[in-house]
Amino acid sequence: MFNIHNLTKKFDGTAVVKDVSFSLSPGNCVALLGANGAGKTTTLRMLSGLLKPTSGKIEFEGMRPGADIREHIGYLPQYPIFHNWMTGKEFLVYVGQLANLTKANAKEQADYYLERVGILEAKNQRIGKYSGGMKQRLGIAQAMIHRPQMIMLDEPVSSLDPIGRREVLTLMEELKQQTTILFSTHILSDAEEISDSLLLMHQGEIVESGSLVELRDKHQSAKINIAFKGLNEEFIPNLEAISDVSDVIIDKNELICIVKDLEKARQSILAQANTENWPLTKFEVSQTSLEELFMKVVQN
Amino acid sequence: MQWLTIYKKEMLEYWRNFSWVWVPVVFILLAIMDPLTTYYMPIILDKVGGLPDGAVIELPQMAATDVLMMSLSEFSSIGVIIIVAITMGIIAGERKSGVVELVLVKPVRYANYISSKWAAKLTLILVSYTIALLTSWYYVSILFEEIALLAFVQTLSFYALWLILVVTITIFYNTLLKTPGLVGALSVGTIIGMTAINAIFSHKLTWFPNNLSSYIRQLLHTGEIPTALWGTSFVTISLIVALLFLSFYTFQKKELA
Repeated sequence: MFNIHNLTKKFDGTAVVKDVSFSLSPGNCVALLGANGAGKTTTLRMLSGLLKPTSGKIEFEGMRPGADIREHIGYLPQYPIFHNWMTGKEFLVYVGQLANLTKANAKEQADYYLERVGILEAKNQRIGKYSGGMKQRLGIAQAMIHRPQMIMLDEPVSSLDPIGRREVLTLMEELKQQTTILFSTHILSDAEEISDSLLLMHQGEIVESGSLVELRDKHQSAKINIAFKGLNEEFIPNLEAISDVSDVIIDKNELICIVKDLEKARQSILAQANTENWPLTKFEVSQTSLEELFMKVVQN
Repeated sequence: MQWLTIYKKEMLEYWRNFSWVWVPVVFILLAIMDPLTTYYMPIILDKVGGLPDGAVIELPQMAATDVLMMSLSEFSSIGVIIIVAITMGIIAGERKSGVVELVLVKPVRYANYISSKWAAKLTLILVSYTIALLTSWYYVSILFEEIALLAFVQTLSFYALWLILVVTITIFYNTLLKTPGLVGALSVGTIIGMTAINAIFSHKLTWFPNNLSSYIRQLLHTGEIPTALWGTSFVTISLIVALLFLSFYTFQKKELA
């Protein structure tokens, strides 16, 4: 539905977004994940038409050539600023009409979305009096008001407290049924929670992408966490000598053994521990998480 | 439709922030200050002047048309500064605060956005200015002499062109920069610059917009519209239209980040 080809943005000669290409299919919820400064906001701003790409192409399927892409998308900036002297409903009706809805239709949609995002009772209050969470929800409502085919949300939950965060995530979960969502975040757990697929961005490039399932399959490997009474480090050579252990990493109070074959590795480690009488205090089998993938990518 | 939406929103904003109250009031004060002080000057001097007893004050008898021109000259100085001040944030302020992000991600045509704001600000300013000048005309006619309605309407209309030009210059800088203060400074600077150019090259630039008031003075004295006033009006209107289109263009080119 939405195809992005080799999108590049340079500010004063420095590329902030480099050669980014991806496509979105209808009904998907995609997370653009990356550390602060990875180029997520710049990417979203280009897609929303607020910034002009230095090079590259943004295609929207089914759009007449030369038509305004803004009719088909909704956008919520990271820090949405409203006219504080307007009421929530007035603002929604205003931007709805700007999106070419008739006044009656804009009012209807405004009421619908005010209810949908849960701020109906505050609709006649000045926006200046809204809390951060309410503004964020009003922001989502204004992005949806003209029923766009896709909405883009820039860090929709980062600035919210735990309760507000939960509410907005639930809301996004519901909106997924209605429209395609592309949202940026630097928090992996948010991405894992509601998105179907991930675009991992680092220093202006998409370094990894795919559905959550694919990424887990690709990057997850089994690991065994071991701790000893006394110094863990003394046992590193012994562990490394075991053929099924591919890597040993020192963590705070334990050693993490990345293993090729979990079953074999467990047997050999336990056998050796038994014969050599190792002072084991912890033996735990688990999986590497996407978090570790994320950290690996970001730190390289 | 979209144009009207923005225009109405601006009007609502002027109600909410009391622009519809204070701008007319300030303009009226500006317009009647000179007719009143001129008329009452002998009494004021008598009461507070502390002049020695027996001092005779003789002030030249002012013509009604001159007094009306004094009102206009207040608009040319303080009035222009007020107009620039209330226009300098109209787009730049929205860009600086970031509201513009929510507005321009909707399919808003840039020309609509600028021209509707331009028209809304002009409505506020021209309505206030008309009320103010009517008040001045009223005081002039009761304190001095009557000025014919036709001459008054002509004065009102031709001078309005100057105010429209001031608003348009300020709007143009709004599309170029996003710091309202800088927009204001550059607009005032430009108007002062134009005055300087006019003063230096006045013999060559007979149709320069800054000459509007001197031709209006002629109009009031003779009761006939001088040919040069038509020429100057034509130049002023052309400049307004050109600046407006230039604003559309610069705003389109500009990145809104």
